[in-house]
Amino acid sequence: MSALLSQRWARVAIGLVVPALFLGWWQAQATGGASALAFAPLDSIAATFVELAGNGSLLADMLATLSRSLSGLLVGGTLGIAIGVAMAVWRPLDRVLGPALQAIRQVPMIGWLPLVGLWFGTGQGAELIVVCLSAFFPVLLSTYEGVAHVERRYLEVGRIYGFTPLQRFRLILFPAAMPLILTGMTQGLAFAWIASIATEIVMGAGSGLGVTMQLAQTQQRMDVILVAIIVTAAIGFAINHLFLRLRRHLLRWQAAPL
Amino acid sequence: MASAALSIPPSVGTGNGRPLLSALLAPVGLIALWQVACLSGVFPSQVLVPPSDVARALWSLAESGDLQRHVGESMFRLGVGFVIGSVAGLVFGATIALSRLAEAALAPFFLALWQVPVIAFVPMLVIFLGIDERFKIVIVALAAFFPVALATFDGVRGVPKRWFEVARVYRTRLPDLVWRILLPAALPAVLTGLRVALTRAWIVLVAAELLAADSGIGQMMEMGRQMFRIDVVLAGVVVSGVIGFALDAAAKAVERRATRWRRA
Repeated sequence: MSALLSQRWARVAIGLVVPALFLGWWQAQATGGASALAFAPLDSIAATFVELAGNGSLLADMLATLSRSLSGLLVGGTLGIAIGVAMAVWRPLDRVLGPALQAIRQVPMIGWLPLVGLWFGTGQGAELIVVCLSAFFPVLLSTYEGVAHVERRYLEVGRIYGFTPLQRFRLILFPAAMPLILTGMTQGLAFAWIASIATEIVMGAGSGLGVTMQLAQTQQRMDVILVAIIVTAAIGFAINHLFLRLRRHLLRWQAAPL
Repeated sequence: MASAALSIPPSVGTGNGRPLLSALLAPVGLIALWQVACLSGVFPSQVLVPPSDVARALWSLAESGDLQRHVGESMFRLGVGFVIGSVAGLVFGATIALSRLAEAALAPFFLALWQVPVIAFVPMLVIFLGIDERFKIVIVALAAFFPVALATFDGVRGVPKRWFEVARVYRTRLPDLVWRILLPAALPAVLTGLRVALTRAWIVLVAAELLAADSGIGQMMEMGRQMFRIDVVLAGVVVSGVIGFALDAAAKAVERRATRWRRA
């Protein structure tokens, strides 16, 4: 057995058994079972995929959700870096903002949706605000960690060289905090992606993969939901992969991976 | 928000090691500022209500028993779903960690499912299960399953091979092997996984309740929004913040206690 498992093709084949069994079971349910209505046969899922991809609505949904996540990351991440750096280098701000931010963070981000909806209406603006908020916190926390815990030695060298505060920030604090900031950005992107899907499902405003899923649920279109889920999984996988590579590229000066 | 800020011990704040008094100063000041801003009329009461109104809303919700009912329902769903999901995660994670065959057979499918945010399963589950109790328990269990399974896998795989060899030399029986070697060695990773799972499960539950429920904290907030009751919505925000904080603090305390021997 172990000899077989050391072969790559054998492992791939074994890995395909469970998905194949699952798909077979699904197909049987969809064509015959008592709850056949809830299941969608595989060929109809494939047909729906071709249809949605062909008329461009799948691409439009993907772009809408992706741009929501990325603008959330851009706004939330920028604010996170700015406030995180400010809090780390200026103690009084930390004392005033720290407890308030910690309190805000305790609430599940999606729990802000009703309040944001009351303030800004239940539209795409409210969705974007919650996405920004989701991206903001991981970036803020790791930026703060990175800047606040820079090695003392580096700062001492800076003092010997007579660095101005700006030089100290640009040449010491920022590069030293970079690995953690990037970790925060990676996490922020993942959070923004999930928050985009979640707010779209809950609020259903604008367009996007979540909106399409939600709409499909009210129309009992399991095939559309599954197409959206599969695309969501693929994009999530691609985003994580891309960001890991970007991170490796940006941190190639580091001797050992963090 | 008020009580959430107050209940945070200074060591949890982003700053560290400051005395209690000055740690309390900032949140109390913020709440006072919030109150003053509302009373001075900068914000109309349709936009922001003062903390005293939020406290009053909380009080009247508690007096009528609504608050207890909502919190109770949410905690029940969280508890049942979390136990089911984490037990399944423990078994699954340990299985694929211990058996190469199980890993080859199950890991690819598991990793593919893992790419989907749990919340994206909501529309599908609603079609299968409707929007009643079962749906919320399943979605909570799903949210708990993935982090626990992954952490258990890492924890069990991380046990040094030599320890198993020693056990074989001593002819340790299987129950003893699990109970005295595997479990203590994998415990720290598993506990971290359980804590992450608890937080995730809570977030997903609030989202599910916002969407489809007749009770629970999420539904309380959603109803408040539909009736333009900012005080009720803010009360829900405060309660869900306090619950989130308490869950995380309790899980951290358990984690610290159970892994005390490591620091000794």
